[in-house]
Amino acid sequence: MRTLTRVLEGIGSTLQLLVQSLSHVPTLPRQWGRFIEQCYLIGYTTLPIVAILSFFIGSVLALQSGYSMENFGAKQFIGSLVGLSIARELGPVMCAILLAGRVGSAIAAELASMKVYQEIDALETMNIPPARILVLPRLAAVLVMMPVLAIIANLVGWFGGAIVAKYTDFIAIDPPAYFAALRRFMEFKDVLNGLIKAEVFGFAVVLVSCNIGLNTRGGPREIGASVTRAVVTSLILILVLDYFVTKALL
Amino acid sequence: MQNSQQTARVGLFFILGVALIWVTFETLSGGKVFKDQGYHIVAGFTSLKELKTGDEVRMAGVKIGEVEKTRLAGRRAEALLRISPDVKIKADATATIVMAGLIGTNYIGIDLGSEAAADLRDGAEIKTAVTPDLNSVMSQIGELGKKIEGALGNLGGALSGDGKSPGIIQKVDQLVTENRENLAQTTGNLRSITDKMNRGEGTLGKLINDPVLYTDLQSALSEIRGGANEAKTFIANAQAILDEVKRGQGAIGALVYDQKAADDLKASIANFRTVSDNLAKGKGTLGQLLNDDTLIRDTRAIMRKADRALDGLDDAGPLTAVGVVANGLF
Repeated sequence: MRTLTRVLEGIGSTLQLLVQSLSHVPTLPRQWGRFIEQCYLIGYTTLPIVAILSFFIGSVLALQSGYSMENFGAKQFIGSLVGLSIARELGPVMCAILLAGRVGSAIAAELASMKVYQEIDALETMNIPPARILVLPRLAAVLVMMPVLAIIANLVGWFGGAIVAKYTDFIAIDPPAYFAALRRFMEFKDVLNGLIKAEVFGFAVVLVSCNIGLNTRGGPREIGASVTRAVVTSLILILVLDYFVTKALL
Repeated sequence: MQNSQQTARVGLFFILGVALIWVTFETLSGGKVFKDQGYHIVAGFTSLKELKTGDEVRMAGVKIGEVEKTRLAGRRAEALLRISPDVKIKADATATIVMAGLIGTNYIGIDLGSEAAADLRDGAEIKTAVTPDLNSVMSQIGELGKKIEGALGNLGGALSGDGKSPGIIQKVDQLVTENRENLAQTTGNLRSITDKMNRGEGTLGKLINDPVLYTDLQSALSEIRGGANEAKTFIANAQAILDEVKRGQGAIGALVYDQKAADDLKASIANFRTVSDNLAKGKGTLGQLLNDDTLIRDTRAIMRKADRALDGLDDAGPLTAVGVVANGLF
């Protein structure tokens, strides 16, 4: 019962935080500096790990599908399979998971420590809503950066698949054939679906992490607990949202 | 400084992302970057089947463009094709929707057309032809399957019966059941016959097992063959004789084919008949000789007289012999 209450409390406070943040949207141009800083943290610094992970996801996907499809002579469709899988599903989901691990945890830790060390209380005392200067720039930054991360993840993943398809003995499909197969069964709609999903996941991760960070109660030990909670909640939320967004977009 | 560098990086990153999204969009949605390259032709079909935007247009298997747009135009479907500017399509060329694979990839195939025909211009309409698609082929196969199923059902019914009348299998079963003893006896007989044959008993067994019989049979056969050869020679000779006869050569030939000889023969036979008639009637010397027994009686009397005369001769001597004979005779 207490758990349920806490879950409902979390959902309620998250929505409340969202509404508060949206109410401060007009102040965004005046927070340009913060916005850029968050863009840098969320997008630019996350790029390397996203690229590495996507490359190897594309590679292993090509390897596995090549191994399986070889049995029934459908090797030439590896490009389509890798392309569609990454664009529609793996690209956005992996980006969001990395975001939860790298950015969500950082946000939760930062806001939780601010809360624990009463910096949030100080802001509120100065009539500066934390939703305005701490949450809104992050949400805006993730909305701008997430599609960029996702498209890079897609392209790097596709190229990873192409390289494996060419240099694996039992697959041996040249990049032109690989990309021709990829193009044949894919439309921009598929990529757009992925980008929309990435946007939704990223927004949810940042919002939930901010909320958990701001709602930290107790001493410094709670900072760690909040970080853990933020990451776990984000991961669960990503996969649950994934199902519903995919269904809505189909 | 730190802040402006950060801003620049974020800006660069963002521009990179937007550029990548744009490139992906252009690549996957038919490459509108190149929309000014090439010219358009329209291909109208009753159904575009699985054809979609971005599918290839090929001439004799070579890619010459792609489907830029598909649309409904009244009672038909139209595909707007963008063709490379260096490829000319003849006015009498025909476009068909060709299936490249079983899983729904299609392209538009255009044939070369005739050399003399004019080139199609931008916006012109190309002739099209309908090709049977996989669905129609599948439905035909389905109908075929139904027919086969019906035929097999009939066959099955005939074999196993339909409840009212027994099927072939049941009839055979019944036949076998009813005649089990006969069959057993027959097979027993057959076995004893084959056993005997194996052991070389009986005519057939000897025929099969005894090599002497085989040799005899072979020599008999060779004799028959010799006889046949002789018969052949005989027939050939007969044929040669017949040929000669036909040619009118030889006695028979002359008889059969020479009118004069035949007439002579006929006359001879007639004469012979006259002679024999006369003989029968006792005409002439020979006839009398044959038919008149007085002659034989006279002859016998003469002989008796001669006998007596000879006896007298023995007594009278040779000088009176002539006189006695003459006396006896006359």
